[in-house]
This record gives sequence, C-alpha cells and structure tokens, in this order.
Amino acid sequence: MTETRDRKPATLRVYRYRSSDDSLRLILGDQEAPISRDRLIKHARRAMERASFVCFAAPSPARTSADEICFVPTDDGCDILTIHANGWRRHHGDHRRSLVEILTDLAAAVARGRLNVLDDDQLVVERGRGRPLLTCSVIDSASLAAARGAAELIMKDAGLSPENRQKTVLCFSEAVTNMLVHGGGGGNVQLRRLDDSLRFVVTDRGPGLGFLNWIEPPAESGQASMGYGYKIMLENMESVSLHTGSAGTTLILDRKV
Amino acid sequence: MLRTITEQGVVPEVFLDGEMDLDCAESLRAAIAAAARGAEIVMMDFGGVRFIDSSGTGVFVRICLDMRSQGVRVHARNLSPAVADVFAMLKVRDLVGDDAFAD
Repeated sequence: MTETRDRKPATLRVYRYRSSDDSLRLILGDQEAPISRDRLIKHARRAMERASFVCFAAPSPARTSADEICFVPTDDGCDILTIHANGWRRHHGDHRRSLVEILTDLAAAVARGRLNVLDDDQLVVERGRGRPLLTCSVIDSASLAAARGAAELIMKDAGLSPENRQKTVLCFSEAVTNMLVHGGGGGNVQLRRLDDSLRFVVTDRGPGLGFLNWIEPPAESGQASMGYGYKIMLENMESVSLHTGSAGTTLILDRKV
Repeated sequence: MLRTITEQGVVPEVFLDGEMDLDCAESLRAAIAAAARGAEIVMMDFGGVRFIDSSGTGVFVRICLDMRSQGVRVHARNLSPAVADVFAMLKVRDLVGDDAFAD
C-alpha cells in the first residue's frame, strides 16, 4: 500500500484535434502527452483519412511500460484518448478489467457516438438543458437508494417500459456509486426533462477520474470495484457525456422517452 | 439495503432480500463467512434481490473466489431477472465458473 501512496494514479487524457483550424486542444487530464504534439496531429489526420478508429501503444522513455492511445475520427476532426497507466498493471489473479480494456471501451463509445467528452463550454450548455424534475444530494448508500426510488417513479410517469427503467436505474446507480466511491464521497444529482428524453446529471467535486480504484489492490473486505461501471453505462444508455478534471466530474446520461 | 436470513444445515442456505449495491459488502461477507463454518458448500438464494449493480456483483464474485480459496464452494440459485441480466452483462459465469450456479 505504501507503493500506492507514492505513485501517481493512472489518468485519462483526451485531446481534440479540429481540422478546420488545425488546432489541438487538451480537453481532459494533464498536459503531458504520451507522444509529441506533432505526432498526435499526424496520427489524427491519418485516422481521419482512413475514417477509422486507430490504436497503438506508446512505450515510456525507459520502455518499461506503454500507454495505449486511441484516435477516433469525429465529424470535424479527431478525439484522441489515452490512459496514462503510470506503470500500473493488473495484479495476478485480479478479476478486474485492464486499463487497456477500459480505454478501448471508452474510445469505441466515442466512435459510436455513445460517449461525448465535454469541454468546459459544452458542460455549461449541456447541464442546463431542459427543465429540472428532481434535484437531490447523495452522500451515502441510503440517499443513493432513495434517489434510485425517486428516479424510478419519474421514469414510470414518463412512460418508460419496465425493461428500460431497469437498465436506466442500473446506469444511474453506477454513475452515483462512482461519485460516492471516487468523487469525494458525495455530490448532486439532477433529473431533467428534455423534449424527447430524460437526462440524469451526476456532479461531484472530487479529484477527477483517476482510476484510483483500479490501481489499489482489491480490499480484503469492503466493496470490490470491477471497473465495469462505465461499460454498463455506455452499453445501456443512448448517450453518455463526461467532463472530468481536478475540480470534479460530471456525468450526463440520456434516455429517450 | 440487503437483509440476509441463514438456514443452517449440511448445506447452509443464505436467503437474500433487498438491494445489492455498494452497501452490502460487509454484512454479506459476514453472513456467508458465518454460514460457511464447517461447511463445504454454501447456497445463496437471490430470489428476494430486487436490484443489483456492478458493486453488488463484485461483492458476489469476490465472495465466491475467496471462499473457494478456503475450500468452500458458493452456489447461487433462484436469480431474479434483474440479477440474471446484470450477471449476464458482466459475464459473471466466466469469472466464477458455471458450477457456481445451482439453476
């Protein structure tokens, strides 16, 4: 455990390349890129030419580990996702998913239009859309259970099928659990009505998505994180939007009504 | 909240009732550990579980693997649709083996 405290966590970085003005911006994470800015742009252009998702491993300078980088062409450019593993590897016998699997799922979701990585301006716009139906703070598992119950009632009133309600409440629970466990211990939840959908906005003021749950060995007791929360949300919601940084994380989940 | 009722016997049975989320780890591990004393198999009955998420699923997987390392097999039965769907989504059978399921 000393080792865990002394090492930096694995972190998600997302860059956005825009072909219209040939710009490359960091959207999430710290500034240090796994490869040079010029190479990021070169690979982004290549992914756009091929119109396909491109991934490769960038070895660390000492070649002791490698960070996977995924280039995902979008309508007007390319999103570049990477998890800087900081040398962390899955423990022997660990049933949790590898960081590469997690990154590949995130990148594939961007490619399919299921995951939107929001910059600061987009976050302000998206979290204010629609009208609020429910606002509450969640600080523990009891308030999480109460929020699940309230959300279930609203979804029933909105006419969602039992199957869709079950999937949605599961995704909502995954988002809020992430907030409780990794987002500073609590935060706010809003359910908003848009023209054609219900929107769940889950906001915390924690340290940002850092995969800290992943790098720590499974606890002897207590809850075991399997690293499946995002996979569940991405596979079962129509759209997931993410903004994360040192001031907190916001997850927006949309369900068509 | 998850409640457990244990019926001791040659194969102890632990009946689960409620929601399995991040809150259930401690009480469930304690219930299974108590039921497993002197037993070779512990049966977990999921018939009363109305909700489970990946945290609750992780607790079940961890209990199965930990108990197996102590020579105790944990079997699950009577999965409600809500539980069965999440277990299928998370490929729980690949993690704990088909023999962990009594149905």
